[in-house]
Amino acid sequence: MSLTKEGKGRRKAPLTPWKKQQRKPIPGVASLNGRWGYPAIAPFFIIFLIFGVAPVVYSVYIAFFKWDPLGTSEFNGLNNFIFLLQDSDFWLAIRNTFSIWALSTFPQMLMAISLAAILRNKRLKGKSFWRTIFLVPNITSIIAITIVFQQLFGRDYGIINSLIGLIPGAEHIDFIEGVIPSHVQIAAMITWRWVGYNTLIFLASMLAIPDELYESASCDGATKWQQFRYVTLPSLRNTITFVLIVGTIGGLQVFAEPQQLGADGGSSKQFLTLTLFLYNQAFLNNKYGYAAAIGIAITVIVLIISTINFFITRKMSGEGK
Amino acid sequence: MNKLAKSKVFLIALLGASVTAGLMAAPAKAVETTNLTIWTFGEVIQPGLQREYQKLHPEIKIIPIKNDVDPLHQKTTLSCQTKSGPADIIAFEVPYSGYWRTGNRPACFQDLRQMKTSASNVAAGVAEGLSATDIKKNYLPWRWEQGVAFNDSVIGIPTDVGGLQVAYRTDLFKKAGLPTDRAAVSKLWPTWEKFIEVGKGYVSKLTPAEKKSNKGFIDDAGTIYAAIMNQGTTKYYQPDGTDAGKLVYKTNPQIKKAWDTTVSALNAGIGARLGQFTSDWNIGMNKGAMATILAPAWMLDYIKKQAPDTKGKWDIADLPVGGGNQGGTELAIPTYSKNKQAAYDFLTWYLAPEQQLKVFKTYGLFPSTSVLYDDAALLEYKDEFFNNAPVGQIYTKGVLKLKPIFEGELQRKIDSTFGAGLGRVASKKMPSEKSYATVISDIDKLFKN
Amino acid sequence: MIKRRAPKWQRTPKRHYFALGVITFLSIFPFYWMFVVASNTDEEISKSPPSLVPGPRFLEVAHKVLTADGVYFVKALTNTFIVGIAIAVAQVIFSAIAGFAFAKLDFKGRRFAILFVVATMMLPSQLGIVPLFIMAGKLHLVNTLYALIVPALVTAFGVFWMRQIIDAQIPNEILEAASIDGASVPRVFWNIVLPSIRQSSFVLGLFAFLAAWNDYLWPTIVLQSPEKFTLQVALTQLKPLYGLDYALQMGGAFLATAPLLILFIFVGRRLVSGVMDGAVKG
Repeated sequence: MSLTKEGKGRRKAPLTPWKKQQRKPIPGVASLNGRWGYPAIAPFFIIFLIFGVAPVVYSVYIAFFKWDPLGTSEFNGLNNFIFLLQDSDFWLAIRNTFSIWALSTFPQMLMAISLAAILRNKRLKGKSFWRTIFLVPNITSIIAITIVFQQLFGRDYGIINSLIGLIPGAEHIDFIEGVIPSHVQIAAMITWRWVGYNTLIFLASMLAIPDELYESASCDGATKWQQFRYVTLPSLRNTITFVLIVGTIGGLQVFAEPQQLGADGGSSKQFLTLTLFLYNQAFLNNKYGYAAAIGIAITVIVLIISTINFFITRKMSGEGK
Repeated sequence: MNKLAKSKVFLIALLGASVTAGLMAAPAKAVETTNLTIWTFGEVIQPGLQREYQKLHPEIKIIPIKNDVDPLHQKTTLSCQTKSGPADIIAFEVPYSGYWRTGNRPACFQDLRQMKTSASNVAAGVAEGLSATDIKKNYLPWRWEQGVAFNDSVIGIPTDVGGLQVAYRTDLFKKAGLPTDRAAVSKLWPTWEKFIEVGKGYVSKLTPAEKKSNKGFIDDAGTIYAAIMNQGTTKYYQPDGTDAGKLVYKTNPQIKKAWDTTVSALNAGIGARLGQFTSDWNIGMNKGAMATILAPAWMLDYIKKQAPDTKGKWDIADLPVGGGNQGGTELAIPTYSKNKQAAYDFLTWYLAPEQQLKVFKTYGLFPSTSVLYDDAALLEYKDEFFNNAPVGQIYTKGVLKLKPIFEGELQRKIDSTFGAGLGRVASKKMPSEKSYATVISDIDKLFKN
Repeated sequence: MIKRRAPKWQRTPKRHYFALGVITFLSIFPFYWMFVVASNTDEEISKSPPSLVPGPRFLEVAHKVLTADGVYFVKALTNTFIVGIAIAVAQVIFSAIAGFAFAKLDFKGRRFAILFVVATMMLPSQLGIVPLFIMAGKLHLVNTLYALIVPALVTAFGVFWMRQIIDAQIPNEILEAASIDGASVPRVFWNIVLPSIRQSSFVLGLFAFLAAWNDYLWPTIVLQSPEKFTLQVALTQLKPLYGLDYALQMGGAFLATAPLLILFIFVGRRLVSGVMDGAVKG
């Protein structure tokens, strides 16, 4: 069962992202008894199907109903989906989610790659210290951090606005009411939490690049910048794809930060994300069926974007080599 | 040791340490106790009173579990769905009462008319054999109604009532040339229009520097909407003989009145646009960013804690038009509780007038038990922080003016939709008509699918 | 080897250290801020500009947190540890076995299975909460720590991660050699695969532990008695009726993060090298 695209004379590109690692099947290990595969994955799959998949499948089933848990349940066919496509809140949520995703993913990647390049230097002092510090934000509780960030971003008395106020003629920014400013605040929280982690991932990839490549490049007269562009970046192709895809799956499902900022997603729903929209429909409006429909929509969106991501990075890094 | 063994040892040590700590921290098994689990939010159940009851009844252990209001609602819904849970008493806020009192949801709670107090609290002043029907007379009718389901089952008993009056800064008023004596101040604004006028005058006297630092007459002009809504007789539903009532959010003139008045307050720029309970609001209180706050009784305690340096600089005047309310809680007993009698006994003790007076004096929560409204202890109680204002008297006066309002199923949701609409006008994101139209269409959506 | 001073172009420019310093400051500042808020009085915090140095109240606030009514802080800490470790160990074991199968064993339906697993990573977790609660109710798991542990025994991400690790770090030749020598598959797994993925397993375990530590949505719904609470849920018990008590909340948050920080000092280097090993062919 080979899921590859028919090549137009080009190298066949696998349709499925996880297979980017496997350029070839595993001929060597054919000697291992493949039938051990079934009992090996059985424990995982049984638990996974019962507790991971079954609840979701049930929710998907509910998507075709109108269901208030303490009220009635009636079959609703595709109405939930039709209503969803016409619901302006849904489109607002899409706009917000993508905006936050863009603001929190791309600057973060740039920062992570740059910081990794700095950390790669063998002569850097205190390497372990820096590397450990980078993971510290990842272990804080999200709820506590949102409180801290809200104080920092306060409209009248937050530190950031105090600094802005020092600039003559500048007005304070409302980081909750504004559309883009609220996205910036949320993106700042996400970036803060993950940039260190991603830096280390890039660092590891960079360290795996053999020194000889750099030496021969510098012998050819390449500047440090050129070395970076033509040696480092192409070798990072796989890592960039991985970070981007995992970051996308997570980024399109941002929930805790917007919810803490304002459970309704803001007075004009300016930071209502897709998962928050889902949650509110289920738990504030008691519309479990509609929420399930939203869940399906989210999955489809994430799938599409991840696939696009994958293809774009493949294409871009394909030109680098 | 090689690395793998080292990590195994480490993990085992960690596990061992946790288990030991867990065993040590486990609460000691005492006498045969009945555990009363209370699902509540914030400090609806005051710790001080809880301790007092446990002294009276060592065989009872009270376990309050706090959640935010919305997650609590969610948990209550889920536990009613599965008809099981550990809660013996559940608190729900008045805006949610419309939900629990309609449909088949009253079945989630015990009808308290069928419970009778036991003899266990007679010494503490609670007579034996009281059912909800007997207690009813202790309360103002409209407040009592908020715990009564459509099928007349009494599902909840009121705790506090917010009430609403105007807390104002005497020093800031003086600076702006306004009177400072509370009777005189109350006369300044018999109507909301006059209130806005006073606000305009106050703001016009601010220096440019003060205006830039976002000082205002009132903390958040949006709070006027809720105040006016609670002064009417109908909100979003009208009683029509069915349990759900008739939706009138499009036609009720009170809504338009409240909306328009609030918008004119917003447009007059009298508000400092500080959302209540944000950190900017706390700081603003200390900096004199607002000269008035529409304050329910429970907020007074909050002001005391957040801005202790402003002691003596506040006083309390009457709300425009008179009679105001914000907030209030009901205590209910879920049908699946295993300790209904013990729960009911605690509930009736806790909500008895003597205890409610204590709560008022220590924490500022204004009692719903109207028998107290003639009690000298309440009427003569003065608060130093607020310039010795007789807060008991002031809030009693306001509460007595309130009329019953039918709360429907999606009350809270509709309320917050209007609030969001006003928020958009306040931040100048949408003009008033457009925002209002958006509110109506958002509410329409709630009922469409 | 003669130690020479590195040529100028190889020495780290000062601006690099500056950038690292900025990042360090930004990473640490929120913790420091939590401590500052927790140790000051409410009015200090409400001042503007706010006090940037710690006050004298920390021990008092810490004591309030530890003895607050209905907040069994130490018990919550223990519960969280137990849940976290159980989840971490289970995930590592199940993911390693399944990941090995997906990476190195050829069996029919393998590709479909891994496709299925990765696809489920795209489902929003909030979707399954209500059915999961109903299921937990039927299995009498509500209000037990098992309700937190059992659904988290396996994750799609864990299996995916292990598959990548094993695929990248264990050359097929070694496995083939072992199998030619007569080793059975379980033997191969135990003697060759497991030792090689030590560090990455440690990392997966650590991240599973962290995820369990910080999880709040599901625990809030399914845990109902205070003795069963995990830290994040216990922290929600620190809120007063209306409004906020910043010092108390931040004190709680600080005390909830501090054990992790201490743990981190011990295992930080391991964690770091593990993250990096795992990402080599990432």
